[in-house]
Amino acid sequence: MLDRLEALAAYDILNSPAEAEFDGIVQIATALCKTPVALISLVEADRQWFKARVGFEACETPISQSVCRHALSGTDLLVIPDLTADPRTRDNTLVTEEPHIRFYAGAPLITPDNVIIGSLCVIDTVPRPQGLEPEQREGLRALAAQVIVLFEARKLSQRKDDLFRRQKSLTANMRASANETLAAQEAGGIGTFEVDIASGILKPSPTFCRIFHVPVAASYPAAMLEAKIVSGDQGAQSNDSSRADASAALEVEYRIQTDLGIRWISRTASFVRDEAGRPVKMIGAVKDITIIKRAAARVQALLDLGDRLSHLTDTESMAMAAADLMAKALDATRAGFGIVNMAEETVVMQPEWTAPGVSSVVGLHHFRDYGSFINDLKIGNPVVIPDVTQDPRTSANAQALLDIDIRVLVNVPIMDQGRFSLVVFVHHNHPYAWSGEELAFLRSFGDRIQSAIARVHAEAEQQVLQRELGHRLKNTLAMVQAIAAQTLRPVKEREHVHAFERRLHALSSAHEILLERNWSSAPVVNVIDRTLDRLAVRDRVDVDGSPVTFGPKGTLSLSLVLHELATNAVKYGSLSGLNGRVAIGWHVEGRGDQAVFRFTWKESNGPLVAEPENKGFGSKLIRMGLAGTGGVDVRYEPSGLIVEMWALLSQLQQADF
Amino acid sequence: MGSSKTPTKPAVLVVEDEPLLLMMALDLVEDAGFEPVEARNADEALEILQTRKDIRIVFTDIDMPGTMNGMRLAAMVRDRWPPIEIIIVSGHVKGGDVTLPPRSVFYSKPYDTSQITAQLHRMAALH
Repeated sequence: MLDRLEALAAYDILNSPAEAEFDGIVQIATALCKTPVALISLVEADRQWFKARVGFEACETPISQSVCRHALSGTDLLVIPDLTADPRTRDNTLVTEEPHIRFYAGAPLITPDNVIIGSLCVIDTVPRPQGLEPEQREGLRALAAQVIVLFEARKLSQRKDDLFRRQKSLTANMRASANETLAAQEAGGIGTFEVDIASGILKPSPTFCRIFHVPVAASYPAAMLEAKIVSGDQGAQSNDSSRADASAALEVEYRIQTDLGIRWISRTASFVRDEAGRPVKMIGAVKDITIIKRAAARVQALLDLGDRLSHLTDTESMAMAAADLMAKALDATRAGFGIVNMAEETVVMQPEWTAPGVSSVVGLHHFRDYGSFINDLKIGNPVVIPDVTQDPRTSANAQALLDIDIRVLVNVPIMDQGRFSLVVFVHHNHPYAWSGEELAFLRSFGDRIQSAIARVHAEAEQQVLQRELGHRLKNTLAMVQAIAAQTLRPVKEREHVHAFERRLHALSSAHEILLERNWSSAPVVNVIDRTLDRLAVRDRVDVDGSPVTFGPKGTLSLSLVLHELATNAVKYGSLSGLNGRVAIGWHVEGRGDQAVFRFTWKESNGPLVAEPENKGFGSKLIRMGLAGTGGVDVRYEPSGLIVEMWALLSQLQQADF
Repeated sequence: MGSSKTPTKPAVLVVEDEPLLLMMALDLVEDAGFEPVEARNADEALEILQTRKDIRIVFTDIDMPGTMNGMRLAAMVRDRWPPIEIIIVSGHVKGGDVTLPPRSVFYSKPYDTSQITAQLHRMAALH
């Protein structure tokens, strides 16, 4: 326990304010495990304190209420499917009283020194006999590892801040004491420098030279070092003119290009002025902050990925979005995706993102020209090759890869119905030292892309199927129409034939509206608009009602009834004259299961109407009303026909026929 | 004066592979006062268009067997015989993925015969 308390003290994190990085992690954890609650719980001697929390009020609880403390003894996930059934937790007051938690899964937070300081846990209020899915377990472990990476980064940056604060006091202090400080900073990986403003000559410390990946030397022209800054960050650094008038920013971060790829540099500086107040020297310190930056970038990329994928619906833009985010998080030199022909073992690379100066690989490639890694891709396994000259899968073909600027190769296969169909790739043109966290990140990233794309495929298939069904249905209705046209050809009273044909169209257009909405539902206002449009009377009808959506049953019923009402109005009612109009209104009364849909059809300014003596099909249909339980009231007023219909909304919204 | 000539009816080429639907469409065209000419697919339709110069309107389905569908036929007609008017019908819901050639109209199947009749008359009046 002492180890744990010491480790917690070293992180200096207890009771610190909320930080976005950690909030992001618990957000991802709840989304990943589909739980209402996720916590980063740090276990002290007498309490557990939450660095981040979702779905949980208190920011700490007494140790007696902690489930996480049980996770401190093992090195892997602790999953308790039903907290009421487990002797360790069944008497816990969080279980027996509000909020009645039932399911718990926690991944231990293990420091680099192998001390467990708490857990990243997810909690549900219903038991889960099956526990977590394998990919949820994997994801939770990876997120727990991210928490530790961030804790370490936080610790480093605090140390950095301390050192920088001391560095800033240099100008005010004696030069002698500064030398001591300098020595301490060199030991801590901080490089120092001094620029003579008049000559533009920079005097670096040896560590500075190592950080900038230049040979250790007593001096360099400042402009030569400034040129190493990547084009996107040019302007952040100081130059001759911004030093001359002391307008250069004192604290900046920028990226430099080195033999080992891109590195992030944090630089802080201050000016030494002469007696007249003119700046004569700029002195400062630099530190390589690449590890911290990348850790933050990875967390951000995971968050962005979920966000971007949920907005996209075609696999190719999803693959491109994923490649783009991966490239940013890993400082890659090229990223994109290709369309795979598995039988031919070829891939057509699509237009991709490349770092400045890196060539494009757009076009057709044969996988076997570059090694044997396609064997892994074919069975759905992501391929991560940190150095193509060393990996047995590519070493024999390394030159072919190096020729197209690939030193590091990452391929994530995307499967479509079990077949390898797309490959998302990230390339580096220089060796790249992968950390365990980065590999875990890649795996988790690959899993997410694959599952998001699988979801889109399933949805697309369903849509194709429904469209095909709709198409067949419409063709069948067309055949019915043709058979009727032939059969009824001798019938002299053409009116009946036309009435039949129009009813068939009313039915067909109701199907059409449903089809546009995946056969699930249709807004009432669309059904009305479409029916009236087809009869060319839309501009003579005032339509007013609240937004209500019907299921297939209600949609067909309303379409057919409305067709008869409108046809009758055109033949005998208000729409038979020039000035008549119709007002349609509807609303919902009551709530829940008892909610009633009420519909009114009111004709005005038409000829005097009377109840017809012969009841045709149309009148009968109108008197049947809308589907199911409900009623109809038909009144022939002097002002015109008024029809009111009502039915239970739940029946009209029913999903099936 | 003197020699009275029966005015020839304008010809409408109906392209439809399903016999029942073809029969109905031919009746419709005839009842509307036109001379119906039938084709069972786009290739047949092209042959007729190359030999007969009196076709005023092409009335075609989209989904048909053969080397081209109704959409390609319509595009070709618009390209090679610009004066001919085009009516396109299909059981597919008209969506954003359907691009109609200029001066052509679309009706969803099952279509309203009186709407098609009116459309034929409008198109014939243009000439």
